[in-house]
Amino acid sequence: MGRMKNLLQKSLKQLTVFAFIVFALSIPSYFLLVDWIWLKELDENNELIAQRIENEFNEQHISDEKLAQSIQFWNEIQPVSKIEFIHRPLSKDSQYTVMRQNPYSKKEAIDRFRGLKTNIKINGQNYSLVVETNVEETEETVAYIAMVTLLFFLILVVGFWILNRRLSKKLWQPFQNTLQKLKSFQLNSQKQIQFQDTDTIEFAELNATLDKLLQHSIITYKNQKEFTENASHELQTPLAILKNKLDILLQSDDLTERQYHIAEEMNKALIRSSRINKNLLLLAKIENSQFDNSELIRFDTIVLQSMDALQEHFKEKKIDVSAEIYSNVEVKGNGSLTEVLINNLLINAIRHTSPGGSIRIILSKSGFEVSNSGEQSLNADLLFKRFSRMSADNRGSGLGLSIVQEICKLQRWTVKYNFEHNEHTFSVTF
Amino acid sequence: MKILIIEDEKELALSISEYLSKESYLCEVASTFTEAVRKIEVFDYDCILLDITLPDGNGLKILEELKKENKQDGVIIISARNSLDDKIKGLQIGADDYLTKPFHLSELTARMYSLIRRRQFNNSNIVRQGELEIDLLAKTVSVNKTMVALTKKEFGLLIYFIGNKNRVISKSTLAEHLSGDFVDMLDNHDFVYAHVKNLKKKLNEAGCEQFLKTVYGTGYKWEG
Repeated sequence: MGRMKNLLQKSLKQLTVFAFIVFALSIPSYFLLVDWIWLKELDENNELIAQRIENEFNEQHISDEKLAQSIQFWNEIQPVSKIEFIHRPLSKDSQYTVMRQNPYSKKEAIDRFRGLKTNIKINGQNYSLVVETNVEETEETVAYIAMVTLLFFLILVVGFWILNRRLSKKLWQPFQNTLQKLKSFQLNSQKQIQFQDTDTIEFAELNATLDKLLQHSIITYKNQKEFTENASHELQTPLAILKNKLDILLQSDDLTERQYHIAEEMNKALIRSSRINKNLLLLAKIENSQFDNSELIRFDTIVLQSMDALQEHFKEKKIDVSAEIYSNVEVKGNGSLTEVLINNLLINAIRHTSPGGSIRIILSKSGFEVSNSGEQSLNADLLFKRFSRMSADNRGSGLGLSIVQEICKLQRWTVKYNFEHNEHTFSVTF
Repeated sequence: MKILIIEDEKELALSISEYLSKESYLCEVASTFTEAVRKIEVFDYDCILLDITLPDGNGLKILEELKKENKQDGVIIISARNSLDDKIKGLQIGADDYLTKPFHLSELTARMYSLIRRRQFNNSNIVRQGELEIDLLAKTVSVNKTMVALTKKEFGLLIYFIGNKNRVISKSTLAEHLSGDFVDMLDNHDFVYAHVKNLKKKLNEAGCEQFLKTVYGTGYKWEG
């Protein structure tokens, strides 16, 4: 893909090329027109001069000898008009253009002349008269016209450019507005987009189409979310029945030890399915924004509480725990979700640390970090995906880290995974 | 003791009443809002188990009704909704406890036991079994008038067993009781042993008869 240009810039280029062609074609047209007017006017002028010369000679009322002398004298002092005696009058007047030395110029200068050869009668005798008038040269006319045309072309291009800038601001404003709204739109935020009203048909149509499309997506998304939530809800009751029936089964007097152990395994599986269900429900609720995330929470207090609650599990696995907890860490978010986040990260660390390993917990003003000893790096892309398990141990719900990620998203925090010096680190940045 | 189970799911109501009937509990079941309201108007119960999502009304309304009429029945909400708002709302209106489905019947029984004891014996709430004496109010345990120092968890465990006398409690059920939401995320349930072992040891050393028996290898039963 080449350099991106905006729409108006693209049309500006086309318009400029077109304008250039039109202006270029206008130069010869103007020239021909001006030259034609020029010559026509000069022909008229030459005829008037011829008329005047004829009249002036006739008004002298001089003798034929004196006339011949006068004509000779005239021809000498007037190099651009020549009177010659002819026996028979010319059949018709002739007009012509000629290039020759300007007789009034001292330098060598070839100029263009428009000439008229016509009949005049002086004292009843026929004379031919040639009148010539200097005409502007073709090149000069063309040059002047071209200069003026170029000037107008430049004015036009600059005008286009200025108009373009103003248009792209004004005319495209509704489009920019729509674009801005689309950019900030998030399907899961549940916020409807209200497009700005516009009197441009195309933009109004675009907005209407987008609105329809978005409504559809929002409804589909909502239905899907609600489905997860409803499905999880509906599952709670059968799970509860199963659990209670197992409790009753355990109380049977004639239960054998083998049957007891089968019931116990069933109970373990049930615990897991209820947990998965609860977590799915929690995820759906987070995504449906059913949590207020504007509480002011003391992060350090929650961390210490969680660590305290999990103390026995650290001990059980002989895990060496080191903690650097900055006190008075206040963050904005949801208290119970933050508790879930901390618990999930800590339990995740406990579960995946081999007995005798170590866990490091760091809380600062800007973030929270849980590291645990491990052997090899995990795939960070899959780590936060739902139900993607990283280890052979499949006792977890497979949702713990997805929940961590969703909670972070909701509270506008980020969570990252890193493996360095044989240590898995999950860091949450506020 | 009279218990009212307000629950629209028949099987669930049946299981609860079956489990409870083994003790001295007398269970009645109401499966609709209207039926529940009618029963509450006429009778008094020691404990009401209230499902708040009923086909013909919100269970919280029943709770409001009870409080308006100044009834003293203890109320435990049992709900499929695990939302903090519901929980807070329920407890604010005057429920004594809130249990999210699915739950173990032993968990429910233990909570009911504590609730009923708390309501019936306001000033001195002491449970006696042989030489063992448990003060539920002060949360102290003594054997032959000698105090036994138990941790908070061990005390909770003891009450759990007392509330589920003569019943088999499996290890995984105990694990759920002890660690709640964490339970399935943990590798094994061996931490249950540690707590039970400590409790047994402390009671034994104080000279208490061994009421807690191990059944089927990994289960427990408090006899008495």
